[in-house]
Amino acid sequence: MIKVDNISMRFNLGIEKNFSMKQFVVDLFSPSKRKEKKKKKVNNEFWALKNVSFEVKRGEVMGFVGTNGAGKSTLLKIVAGVMKPTEGKVSVGGNICPMIELGAGFDSELTARENVFLNGAVMGYSRDFLQSKYDEIVDFAELADFMEVPVKNFSSGMIARLAFSIATIVEPEILIVDEILSVGDAAFQKKSEAKMRSMISGGTTVLYVSHSAASIKALCDRVVWIDHGHVKMIGDAKDVCNEYLRSLGLPVEGEGNGA
Amino acid sequence: MIKRVWLNFKKYSFLLKQLVARDFKIKYKRSVLGVLWSVLYPVLMMIVMSIVFSNVFKFTTEGVSYLAYLLSGLVMFNYFSEATNLSMSSVVGNFSLLNKIYIPKYIFPLSKCLVTAINFALTLIPLYVVIIIESFSYPDMKLSLLHLVLPYDYICLFMFTLGVGLILSAVTVFVRDMLYIYGIIVLIWTYLTPIMYDITIISNPILQSLMKLNPLYLYINFARQIILHGWMPTPAYFAACGGSALIVLLIGMAVFKMNQDKFIYYV
Repeated sequence: MIKVDNISMRFNLGIEKNFSMKQFVVDLFSPSKRKEKKKKKVNNEFWALKNVSFEVKRGEVMGFVGTNGAGKSTLLKIVAGVMKPTEGKVSVGGNICPMIELGAGFDSELTARENVFLNGAVMGYSRDFLQSKYDEIVDFAELADFMEVPVKNFSSGMIARLAFSIATIVEPEILIVDEILSVGDAAFQKKSEAKMRSMISGGTTVLYVSHSAASIKALCDRVVWIDHGHVKMIGDAKDVCNEYLRSLGLPVEGEGNGA
Repeated sequence: MIKRVWLNFKKYSFLLKQLVARDFKIKYKRSVLGVLWSVLYPVLMMIVMSIVFSNVFKFTTEGVSYLAYLLSGLVMFNYFSEATNLSMSSVVGNFSLLNKIYIPKYIFPLSKCLVTAINFALTLIPLYVVIIIESFSYPDMKLSLLHLVLPYDYICLFMFTLGVGLILSAVTVFVRDMLYIYGIIVLIWTYLTPIMYDITIISNPILQSLMKLNPLYLYINFARQIILHGWMPTPAYFAACGGSALIVLLIGMAVFKMNQDKFIYYV
């Protein structure tokens, strides 16, 4: 279903600084610094991902763990088609619904109703589909009384609820979830988690990123552990999570609970 | 390849419509006169410019209505300048979106050129009002079937504008200075395009023929031949307009396509 074949991703961290007139003039008068900078430019290259390969089968729920900045989000963006990898190839067989960031493309001047269609269009849904699902979206978000209000008057919790409802209305073949379960108030969190679980158990292929080892263990079949852009371990969810927690020096469930 | 691009375009055509609708709704939000401004703005501009140029500088256009001459050029040039300016910042302005989700990137400059085209269509209303009023004193200006040729000219203008818009939106991602430079370029372009003066006042023949290479002059002059004189432009003129528009559009598409994968690193 998804085949990630030996991909690498390079970023140039110094890219912003290399293009200013001021810097150019400064460099002009200090040749030694210029040489130094040229050297530095090479060092400024940063490999967010290096030779990452894995496969996800149809219906499988694949978890991703790793510390902040390990390259998880970059990896998911590449799978979603937002970025192209510097090297390697990704093949995806099916339509993807990325939930990397909720509410991308909301326009605060427009009403909630208009934003349902705009945001839905951004996610690649058709007009007919959105029209038929409109009531369901509104119901789920529990915002029926506010649909004609401009979104700029919404609280951030309301926006998140609306965004979540739009994003999860489709039944995609592949779902990319990047830690979004914690939106809204406690009641909505419970509801959204239940919705996620039903989507996951409904046979959708899911790529799931979270820092919560507990939810990963509960939801995922297999887990990829990414460390500094490399795949450190792929395997059974429990084994990888435990190994990951151990490396962080955190207590692992079910062992060493002497106290 | 072409099939894939077409399928992708069809999938995102709803998004294109939504973006155009959004921009149009937001444009005049909270203004009292609202969409009436689209009509009023070129008229006010025309009045100011005709006072300045025909009374102060004594510009005249022999045998044709100066007001119609001015306005026919003005609406077309305004379309170009507004659409390219909006296109220029459209990719940069939507980085937060492009960074998160896959969307064909050309959709942003394209939506800006389209929403400005709606605005352009509204500015044709005052243009035709002026044409009808002035046709009483200038018999050449009568409304005829010849006006049905004008959409060809406007499509050429649209293609040219989209081409320039695509180039600008791509360049601006890498060099933000473009946002400021382009303001100056448009200013120069305004004066080099015979909008408020007739090209015959340029006495240097070499300069005059150079100015005729300006595609915007071609499109404006095409419209003026029909509107002011009731002439059918020559086949060569048709070819020049269509050809220049197509070439610039293809260049714009190529420049955009070659660079679009690099946009994401310049956030």
